[in-house]
Amino acid sequence: MEEKKGLLEGFMLSGRAVKATESAKMIRGITRDMSQRAHAAVAEGKPVAYSFMGGPHGEILRAMDIVPIWTENYAAICAAKRQADAFITKAETEGYPRNLCSYCTSILGIDATRKEIGALPDSADGGLEKPTVMLGSGMMICDPRYKAYQAAQRYNDVPYHVIDWLWPPVTTPISEVQDYYLKYMIEQLWDLVAFLEKNTGHKMNWDRLSEIVDLSERTIQVWHDAFQFRKAIPAPMPAEDAMNTMVPGWFLLGTQESLDFFNNLYQELKDRVEKKIGVIPNEKYRLMWAAGLPPWYALAMFNYFEAMGAVTAIEITYHPPDPVEIPQHVKHPLERIAWRNFKQFSTMMGSADEGGRDPMVNRVLKMCDDYHIDGLLMHRAMTCRTVHVGEIHMANVLKEYTNRPILILEGDIIDMSAFDEAGAQAKIDNFMELLEVTSHRND
Amino acid sequence: MSEPSLATVEKLYQNRGLRAVELKTEGIKTMGYLCCYAPTELLTAAGVVPLRITGNVNESISMADAHIETITCPFVRNCFDLALRGEYSFLDGFVVPHTCDNVARIYDIWRYTIRQPYNHFINVPHTIATGSLDFFRAELDTFKKSLETSLDKHISSDELRESIALHNQFRGLVRKLYDLRLPDPPLLSGAETMKIILATTRLPVNEANELLRSAIEEIKQRPNKQPKGHTRILVYGPEVDDVPFIEMIEEMGFDVVIDDLCIGTRPYWSDVEITPDPMDGLAQRYLEKINCPRTFRPRTGTRKEDLDNRFKYILDFAKKYRVKGIILYVIKYCDIYGFDAVDVKDYMEEAGFPGIIVEGDYTSMSIDWMKTRIQAFQEMIA
Ligand code: SF4
Ligand code: SF4
Repeated sequence: MEEKKGLLEGFMLSGRAVKATESAKMIRGITRDMSQRAHAAVAEGKPVAYSFMGGPHGEILRAMDIVPIWTENYAAICAAKRQADAFITKAETEGYPRNLCSYCTSILGIDATRKEIGALPDSADGGLEKPTVMLGSGMMICDPRYKAYQAAQRYNDVPYHVIDWLWPPVTTPISEVQDYYLKYMIEQLWDLVAFLEKNTGHKMNWDRLSEIVDLSERTIQVWHDAFQFRKAIPAPMPAEDAMNTMVPGWFLLGTQESLDFFNNLYQELKDRVEKKIGVIPNEKYRLMWAAGLPPWYALAMFNYFEAMGAVTAIEITYHPPDPVEIPQHVKHPLERIAWRNFKQFSTMMGSADEGGRDPMVNRVLKMCDDYHIDGLLMHRAMTCRTVHVGEIHMANVLKEYTNRPILILEGDIIDMSAFDEAGAQAKIDNFMELLEVTSHRND
Repeated sequence: MSEPSLATVEKLYQNRGLRAVELKTEGIKTMGYLCCYAPTELLTAAGVVPLRITGNVNESISMADAHIETITCPFVRNCFDLALRGEYSFLDGFVVPHTCDNVARIYDIWRYTIRQPYNHFINVPHTIATGSLDFFRAELDTFKKSLETSLDKHISSDELRESIALHNQFRGLVRKLYDLRLPDPPLLSGAETMKIILATTRLPVNEANELLRSAIEEIKQRPNKQPKGHTRILVYGPEVDDVPFIEMIEEMGFDVVIDDLCIGTRPYWSDVEITPDPMDGLAQRYLEKINCPRTFRPRTGTRKEDLDNRFKYILDFAKKYRVKGIILYVIKYCDIYGFDAVDVKDYMEEAGFPGIIVEGDYTSMSIDWMKTRIQAFQEMIA
């Protein structure tokens, strides 16, 4: 493990992850533009909406000419720029404990400061605009997705809406519940449109929404296809790049910009695979980021692995959703959105009870084979229950089926005080030694 | 149970699993459930005894850390630890409503690790909007069907109606028990109230009714030994499921005369309306009538109106029970209460009820950290 020399002590927190692909290098410009669009909308008196990723909001907002503000993304940018801590501390003084979701406490800190000073607080990309409306979601993903904006109403006294956006249950046969799950999701989408029309004065443009949904479906397909190249050896793109290139997928879905981006990514990865250009010159080990949101302030840690010949070839987190087939008779764009969501998750959950295993475990095991994985990385972000409770269990179950070593690092998405760099390095060093023993790829 | 009384309460409180083990030997099935959103009426109607799963605030985690993260809600972790140690091995099933992230996550881990014979997860809408009630009704139908298949028993509407009536009776009796705390001094302490409720959480509902009825009578008959001149207080929070926290507050010179807690008023303050199809009333009650911050009530009108819509019931408690203030207990790693507590505190203060937020880790060990602050609060409002 000679190669890791050359990385300065403290580099994980002080350095920036070195990006391998041209596509990943474009992302910072894209996120700046996203903020710019919000500033321009506000300047023109147009509505802007706080929202979380992973739900149906983006497509609907764009069809109504409302600019989404993705607060998780903005908090992550602040974390990468070392600006988030002051806002988390502000939220703490307002009464929101540090152990609550730090994406949300960062934003609450910004909201509180904005209200206090009557202007945008000084933060990344010209600051975070006050929303015209806030849009949360229940049932899917996490509780802070509906509780945090409810709390934020004390600073942003603006209309607030919550939809239930569903995951099919794991232990109930999907066919038994499909009809009423879909019915509820579609009703919820109609509710959302009605809320937005009432509170922004903007009307839904249904033709535009149909086009957007078409674009989304095409984009998901290209995004998915591009990722197939990542099965190649050497790996053409590492996880730290993919955690950036997810931005146009999760935050700009349904735009031409997003489709163009993934077409380019497809070409770039195809080209790199054909020319056998890997992330690192001598790829010895391939890792998978098997669980957890990343520590946004310490993405340079991937370079530490790379310095020792280990590339993180694929990740579960922010992985593109599976392209799914929507029945021919489903034409209305809101229905297509609901079906797409339901099918994506039911496809993933389909294998749920195979051997009583968790669907995520099945998925990880399959990806280990598909992407020729030697070891698994996980990260436990201390302020997020929903993504991170269950990692130990998943690791335990995985160990019943694979002898690939598993490393769980601890930190947070935003709160740097939760990250112990020296401890992380020691854990990584141990893990690499184990990897050397268990991996036979280069024998 | 030939002599239901406060002595029985004490016995059942000390050994909460006592009756459950007896039931097992009598061949009666028991199923455990988490939180206030599991429709226990369906279990009773199916001939199964529903048992509320609680943790043990006096025990630290010994086995759960090998399976579940320390960032999990400590109440949930604690319950799971007990299950790992075999304390719930008598259960024939595990029923989990989707109340919050932590409870949703534990379902998969629990069913894989503990392997109780029957497991069911009920998705409970987080909002009350168009279609929410229909969806939840359908989800309850799915649960009913799954229960029927598993037990090979049809649950008739009459059986369900009868069960609802019994559970309504129970909730009514709990409210009667709380009536005994209206006088000053109250006829029983907050800690004793919680003990009585805890003793009933592991009993078949008809036995719980009997016990509660006689306990109320006994309390009415006995001389009131509650200390005079204590400060009447309301305690708000999630799963406070044992007495040390309440005892500590009462030792500081407070009378906890009313609460908004999961082992307290929250599951018992509203009844199920017996509708022509009893499943409708059941769905409506569990979705709309339980006051818990896990359920989003869509904002209507101004912020003030929204806050009333969310918290006026707490204010009503405060007025009816003539409290001087409110102690808000937030459990670490609970996003649901963590994001709400600031609003509740401000709302109550605005209405003239000073409040204090204390954060604990569920265990009785963490109570010591709070003492000084609660003492200072007592001095401030007494
Ligand atoms: S998923 Fe986790 S990190 Fe993301 S908003 Fe929810 S709690 Fe926060
Ligand atoms: S205390 Fe909070 S996190 Fe824990 S079970 Fe209750 S609502 Fe969920």
